[in-house]
Amino acid sequence: MKESQLARRDPATQSEGVVAGYVQTSQRWPAQPLVRRPLTRSELTGPQQLLKRLTPVRGDLAGYGDKRALGQLIHIRARVVDEDGAPVPGAVVEIWHCNAAGKYIHPNDSNDAPEDPNFYGAARMVAGDSGLVELRTIKPGAYPVPDTDGWWRPPHVHFSVWGRIWLSRLVTQMFFPGDPLNDADPILQAIRDADARNRCIARLAPTAKGPQNALVYDYQIVVRGKGATPAL
Amino acid sequence: MIPTGEMTLGPFFPREFAQGSNDLVGQAKGEVIEITGRVTQADGRALDNVVLEIWQADGKGRFDSPDFFGWGRAATDADGFYRFRTIKPGAYEGRLPHINFCILYSGLMRQLQTTMFFEAGRDPVLDAVPASRRNLLVARREGTVYRFDVRLRGDDETPFFDD
Repeated sequence: MKESQLARRDPATQSEGVVAGYVQTSQRWPAQPLVRRPLTRSELTGPQQLLKRLTPVRGDLAGYGDKRALGQLIHIRARVVDEDGAPVPGAVVEIWHCNAAGKYIHPNDSNDAPEDPNFYGAARMVAGDSGLVELRTIKPGAYPVPDTDGWWRPPHVHFSVWGRIWLSRLVTQMFFPGDPLNDADPILQAIRDADARNRCIARLAPTAKGPQNALVYDYQIVVRGKGATPAL
Repeated sequence: MIPTGEMTLGPFFPREFAQGSNDLVGQAKGEVIEITGRVTQADGRALDNVVLEIWQADGKGRFDSPDFFGWGRAATDADGFYRFRTIKPGAYEGRLPHINFCILYSGLMRQLQTTMFFEAGRDPVLDAVPASRRNLLVARREGTVYRFDVRLRGDDETPFFDD
């Protein structure tokens, strides 16, 4: 692949690096401008068989056997596509989110919300031929961000995705449509372009019935290019 | 520990995702090396649980090596240090030996890309960096260990690349 054929991400569709109200960003986002580099083989290739190094993890967060995690059962149909809209079969996708009460399975989560013994917070899956990854889980809760004046994270699901090349690496968050917290979230709102922001929001398939009567959400992840899903 | 805002901010990257992926050597032929470094923020504080992913060629400069898989992932410890065990990559087509780094962390709105070099010299990517900052991308050798610190912001800030 030649550099001239590779559409770069459009800065207008990406989030700001330093975000008002999110104090850590001003300690961590570089002060110097990002350097534009020529693209050579190391940027235009990427790991093709990631499962040589990463093991598959459960592809179901909603419970263990008969024991179900509490919350609204949902079925996420996430489709991984490249800059031309072509599916990326074999894309490895990592997914994690908090439980229905807004608590992560993570030692760093200080939120005083209950854990759910039947909720499993992390999945690693491989996209099928149509670039599709299907995950059964429960809808995550909202949670308050400590030491802030009324900042609630809206329900969201973290996605980490590998496209075909090093530059297609994307880590982002999927949001749920129609939640008023979306409009007040400094992270989602750090993407100024409304169309780009909307690419972070899943669509509810209102009449679809997923396995075991799950609500179905469709979500598309564009890993690169001018129409890329914003990183978050 | 006093809770701070970052504790409930993404990524609450699952710890299990970052474990067991920082040794790339396997059956590969070549010079076995260790890469380590400390990740710090603007005020100099070392950062815990920063995820670093690397992509590199094998000892002969190949990315489709039959005996080497050039991708790895590590997370920093409580003192801000990451570690990789790998083989020294070879040069290819005008590029000096190098390793691409992708850095993921809470408080980074998107991933940061940088590149570690083993020595200074002519290289189209290194040449794209302002001359006064190029030395920040060259690792310091200490025996078989290469030291490559990442300063996200502030004095001697690591150069990062547009993607």
